[in-house]
Amino acid sequence: MDDLLADFVAETREMLEASGGEIVAWEADPSDRARLDSIFRFVHTVKGNCGFFDFPRLERLSHAAEDALAEVRAGRRQPDSALVSAVLAIIDRIGEMTDAIEAGGEFPEGGDNALIAALEEGEPEQEGQLLASEAPASEAAGDAAKGRPTPQPTQAIQRSIRLPVDLLDEVMKGVSDLVLARNDLARRLREGGNQPTLDGPFERLSTILSGVRDSTTRMRMQRLEHLFGSFPRLVRDLSNDLGKQVMVDFEGGDVELDREMVEMVRDPLTHIVRNAIDHGIEKPVDRLMAGKREIGLLRFAARQSGNQISLVISDDGNGIDTDRLAAKAVEAGLRTPQEIAAMDERAKLDLIFEPGLSTADQVSAVSGRGVGMDVVRANILKIGGSIEVASTPKDGTSFYLRLPLTLSMMSALTVETRGQIFALPRSFADEIAFARTHMEELARAGESQMFTYRGRRIPCIALEEVLFGASAVPLDWSRKKLLVIRLATGELFALGVDQVLDHEDVVVKPIAPAIVATGLYAGTTLLDDGRPMMLLDMPSIAAKFGLVTKSRSRSDREQNDGAETNGAASQATITAMLYRGLDGRRRAVRLGLVRRIETIERSAIDIEGDRAQIVIDERLITLIGHEGSTLPEGNCRLLRLSDGASELALIVSEVLDAIDLPQNLRAPEANSEYEGIALVEGHPIPLIDGHTLFARHDRPVTETVSPTCRLPEDSEWARKILEPLVIAAGYTVLRDEADDGDLRIVIDGDAVPSSETKTPLLHLRSDRDPRGASDASIYRYDREALMAALARLRRENAA
Amino acid sequence: MTSLMLLCTIAGRQAAIPAHAIRSVIEIDAVEPIPGTPPWIVGLTALRSQALTVVDCRVALGFESAGDPVGSRAAVIALDGHLYALVVDDASDVEEIEGDIQQLRGGFGRQWADAALGMVETPRGPAIILDVPALLGLDQSEAA
Repeated sequence: MDDLLADFVAETREMLEASGGEIVAWEADPSDRARLDSIFRFVHTVKGNCGFFDFPRLERLSHAAEDALAEVRAGRRQPDSALVSAVLAIIDRIGEMTDAIEAGGEFPEGGDNALIAALEEGEPEQEGQLLASEAPASEAAGDAAKGRPTPQPTQAIQRSIRLPVDLLDEVMKGVSDLVLARNDLARRLREGGNQPTLDGPFERLSTILSGVRDSTTRMRMQRLEHLFGSFPRLVRDLSNDLGKQVMVDFEGGDVELDREMVEMVRDPLTHIVRNAIDHGIEKPVDRLMAGKREIGLLRFAARQSGNQISLVISDDGNGIDTDRLAAKAVEAGLRTPQEIAAMDERAKLDLIFEPGLSTADQVSAVSGRGVGMDVVRANILKIGGSIEVASTPKDGTSFYLRLPLTLSMMSALTVETRGQIFALPRSFADEIAFARTHMEELARAGESQMFTYRGRRIPCIALEEVLFGASAVPLDWSRKKLLVIRLATGELFALGVDQVLDHEDVVVKPIAPAIVATGLYAGTTLLDDGRPMMLLDMPSIAAKFGLVTKSRSRSDREQNDGAETNGAASQATITAMLYRGLDGRRRAVRLGLVRRIETIERSAIDIEGDRAQIVIDERLITLIGHEGSTLPEGNCRLLRLSDGASELALIVSEVLDAIDLPQNLRAPEANSEYEGIALVEGHPIPLIDGHTLFARHDRPVTETVSPTCRLPEDSEWARKILEPLVIAAGYTVLRDEADDGDLRIVIDGDAVPSSETKTPLLHLRSDRDPRGASDASIYRYDREALMAALARLRRENAA
Repeated sequence: MTSLMLLCTIAGRQAAIPAHAIRSVIEIDAVEPIPGTPPWIVGLTALRSQALTVVDCRVALGFESAGDPVGSRAAVIALDGHLYALVVDDASDVEEIEGDIQQLRGGFGRQWADAALGMVETPRGPAIILDVPALLGLDQSEAA
């Protein structure tokens, strides 16, 4: 979090510096649209960032400024000098607050309302009042901390410096050239025979060089995790605000992306997430009505494909209403009805990237102001990427982003076909299989080859045919090695090659447009001996051979899987969530049980003896999975499991992946905690038994209507000692005189039940010994008898 | 008007490539073929840790290939951040060429029509100036 905060401060300050000039220019000419836009973008970004850092004051200020500026942008308000000064005052305040945040201090209270009020149009009297009421408070604050409102120079030690990326690029390029020069030299040395005086220093040079190469690579690269890390919180907060339930699923967090690129896509992705939750995913009730799970799924999947990263963000919400979008476009005057009529569905969908268009009927704090997708697309295009949207009504929306990755190291698998070596990004390869040992799993349908992978038939293509065209001689599949390729969309296919050689880290360089046009290659790289090697573009190859169905997102596949499991004989797999427990062991839990994935702070966990609970959203949830392990410091990852009524929080050290397990599990050995043991990539993975788990932690469910009980009003003992017991037994204590309730408790009263009322009576006595043989009363400190009596009466009452 | 041009022969004809586009002239050492590409792309060759796309100018123009390009001379061109090696029959020196680019009524022939900017007079007779982007199938022909 500290890292993110530092980023936020640095980014805000950088934007402040950059917008300094804009602000002055705008002041000079308030009608300058370009300046206005850039200032608007600044406050909008600050607002967005505050949203997930929880700086309510900053957010309020930026939101207010944004509102006012939006009015001006929409032409509903003329910019005047009063407005300009008010906006400038807010921007100054944002700068001061940012300084305070960096110094770790609190910015003095007060003053915000006056700043916000100054943005209001007209009504100077009210303004004056507000200012007047606000002023003493801020003065008082000012007095209390002499001169605190003035920005203090921060004296924090700088542990990082910001470098221009160009410089890093240059260094990186230099280093990769050095490596190749070293390789060249190595070859020459080998050719020249043994030269002890040279070999030693050369070895040293090599070691140093690989170290330098590693660190320069790390300098620029950042795992996408770093970016994904901020989303669960954002999603949680947004869905809480909007009364929705959203589960986030990440895949490919280990894909590395240029640091600058990570920063460039952060805002666009935040926008997409906001939109997905605000407009895409429905409220739980609507979802249930539509026959979906009440928890929406927001899925991020990243893949490296050559010199590009493909990133898919999909939700299983309501999809985009293209007709409404088109109607809005007409309304906003962006298109004529005739133009709309001539558009196909795709073109209509692309309208969401149009500036000044929003499907939101109401402007919320979350999204829907029309800066959004047009800015998102502009930013993605600016960095040389592309964005596409696909949406199925009622089923969800997916955004497909492709981001360039020009100077990147990637781990690649090298394969050989027809004697030539090719590389493919390792992240695509799920598994390598030798066709010879899997002959029974190969099958033909028509002219197509299929491979049975984990109980599913997947299409097979031979690299040889991909590259050299269909051959006249039928391919000998038994001699092929099969690579199971998993695309970013989650679809699988098998690629047949002659040999799988090795995996190595390669520097990918871009290739000429004419070669890109083949749709087969994503880049090139040089082998150690200096020979060039082509890098295969797996998604493009898959698309070329019709192996991708674009609209088919993973969420609906899961629904299909679910339908199959409910069906009779067609059961093939169990979809489960794979995780690593605190003890470091990998286990799986059925995905259906997982309500959502949560990250919480250590302090929210309360463990005392056998009782372990966790506070999430003001609710106590039983914690499991911590037994016999020490809790991690800082943040903890949780899987929130639900059986529909009650909830359990399973603490894990790492959420790994959603996987498909074979239906026929191995029976567990005596350990009934597990439903069975599955083999995943050769490792045994126990599958948690949901029934046992929830049975063990089942709590008596409090009935919605609890029986009522009347206590003697004059007794202090009854109030202080008895009442809690009665409540614990499930009764509601009555105070109202009018009603007798379901039970009356009498202390030291007449032991004979009165015939006047039908209300059961429970008699208690202060003496240890009964007064006589007919005395059915209970000694008031005989807890066991008292509880038993209460429970018995409650059962009778219920019956 | 004076300009520097690399004089070369392509398919037995005199041709000239504007020298400002040329990085160097190399002798093709080894080429890694790239399956699936148009026939005029011979493959990739490495030049000091950089991969060059080897283009057979004969084929690109629509003539028969002269065969294996290994040992042939090639002009190294940088275009839009990509490096190409244009394989020619032979390349002589860079020469200072006097005179304007001229057109010829009736054109230079079917093969040359799309890839020629015009012709210039050289000490060895007229030479056709290659439109490199057009030759490489890149639409935006900057020189035109």
